[in-house]
Amino acid sequence: MDINSTLIAVFLFPGLLFLCAYATTLEFVDRHVYARLQNRQGPPWYQPIADFLKLMGKEVIIPAGADKTMYKLLPLVSFAAVATAFLCVPVFGPAVKAFNGDLIVVLYLLTIPTACFYLAGWYSTSIYATIGSVRALTQLFSYEVPLFMALLAPAMLAGSWSITEISAYYTANPLYVLFNLPALVVALLAVQGKLERVPFDLPEAETELAGGTFVEYSGRYYAMFRMTVDCELVVLSALIAAIFVPLSFDIWWMEVLCFFISTLLIVFVLTFIRATMPRVRIDQMVRFCWIYLTPLAMAQIILNLFLRGVVG
Amino acid sequence: MGRGLIRRAIDWGTRKSPWIIHFNAGSCNGCDIEVVDALTPRYDLERFGMLQQGTPRHADVLVCTGAVTLQTRDRLIQIYEQMPEPRFVVAVGTCACSGGIFDGCYGVVGGIDAVIPVSAYVPGCAARPEAIIDGVVKLLTALKKQQKEGPIVVKAEGDEIVKAETLSGEVVYEKDKEEVSQ
Ligand code: SF4
Repeated sequence: MDINSTLIAVFLFPGLLFLCAYATTLEFVDRHVYARLQNRQGPPWYQPIADFLKLMGKEVIIPAGADKTMYKLLPLVSFAAVATAFLCVPVFGPAVKAFNGDLIVVLYLLTIPTACFYLAGWYSTSIYATIGSVRALTQLFSYEVPLFMALLAPAMLAGSWSITEISAYYTANPLYVLFNLPALVVALLAVQGKLERVPFDLPEAETELAGGTFVEYSGRYYAMFRMTVDCELVVLSALIAAIFVPLSFDIWWMEVLCFFISTLLIVFVLTFIRATMPRVRIDQMVRFCWIYLTPLAMAQIILNLFLRGVVG
Repeated sequence: MGRGLIRRAIDWGTRKSPWIIHFNAGSCNGCDIEVVDALTPRYDLERFGMLQQGTPRHADVLVCTGAVTLQTRDRLIQIYEQMPEPRFVVAVGTCACSGGIFDGCYGVVGGIDAVIPVSAYVPGCAARPEAIIDGVVKLLTALKKQQKEGPIVVKAEGDEIVKAETLSGEVVYEKDKEEVSQ
């Protein structure tokens, strides 16, 4: 790849610009489906863009006790981590930067935003934000283990740490995906915790913590955080689609269609979970993740190791 | 007035996404229930981009109910000052507009506008959800006009408004005259 096409791939397509555009679209889809499930009209299609522009134009208030550098830096760092992770995920065919082990890199890059949320809450020195950030960290230790295991189990069966190769393996043997169904369920539930959505939205918990980790954030820094969460949704749904949906076509428009349909379907399932469940307590959340999700993911890994021995 | 593209985009965003926060300044709870009513799926405020926020830092519109009491006065000012600009206040209910039946009580300061500037008044005891939605939408319509034409300069003698004109010199209101334009 020469320098020009690399720059286009990183900043325009399928890099930053496409990521932001698709993130706003997915936020709209998420909110619209949520509204339809509640039997109401829902926001107009331009709503996420309007929210973003409004927040960009708003005054920024940095609390007197907060660390100014960290306050300004954290939204940028978390956004950069997600945008970098997106480059390693296959969108319409191979990823921009595919190498052996990119699955691990993506998973670790996706942990950075959560760590940033924690620090953001901690450095803004508000009691609500502190409680929210401690919850974010507690939650991180609960869902991260099952999420990692659920995404690594298919990789073990495929015998590769590269997302592109895993996807190619399952395209060649589509039926093997059926063995991964428990991992898919675990991944979808853990993603709900990662994105801090109901039933695992404890760090934000608007009605009890008044917004949690982001309580003190306003204006463009808050817009950046919102964008980060939306982009995380895109990256995670694309990642799950690449690993669990064994479809790949030679014709480019079929490939595009397949990408959109599979990610939209995943977002729909996530929204359905969000719309139909109440929020759980933090101890229930931790218990659920460690007692049900982790053993399920562990069983999946053992099964896949066994299968790997059988099919060679 | 000539405005840049970015300014226009931000103004448009401000009109299309008013996030609200609800504050009870000393209401009898009648108006609060109506505000909460207006937030239910039945009235679907998200059509206008309205979302309820838990913290004043994220909110654009402060929806206040009830007459301001001595106890809540400082808290109200504090919450108002925690909101980032541009911010608007909507007074919901007769008590919030003027003090209502509580006006003149020993513990009551008066309506919301006795403490902080109010952009829109929604009278009614209690104000209906439809009226509250109407009030916020009217506020946004007025905001659009103001964003296009700039702020209105008001001249007053004592308590009485003598003349009001836009920055470009268009007279909106003049004492002793018919109302020039809406
Ligand atoms: S206007 Fe009526 S309902 Fe509302 S706070 Fe006053 S007395 Fe209560």
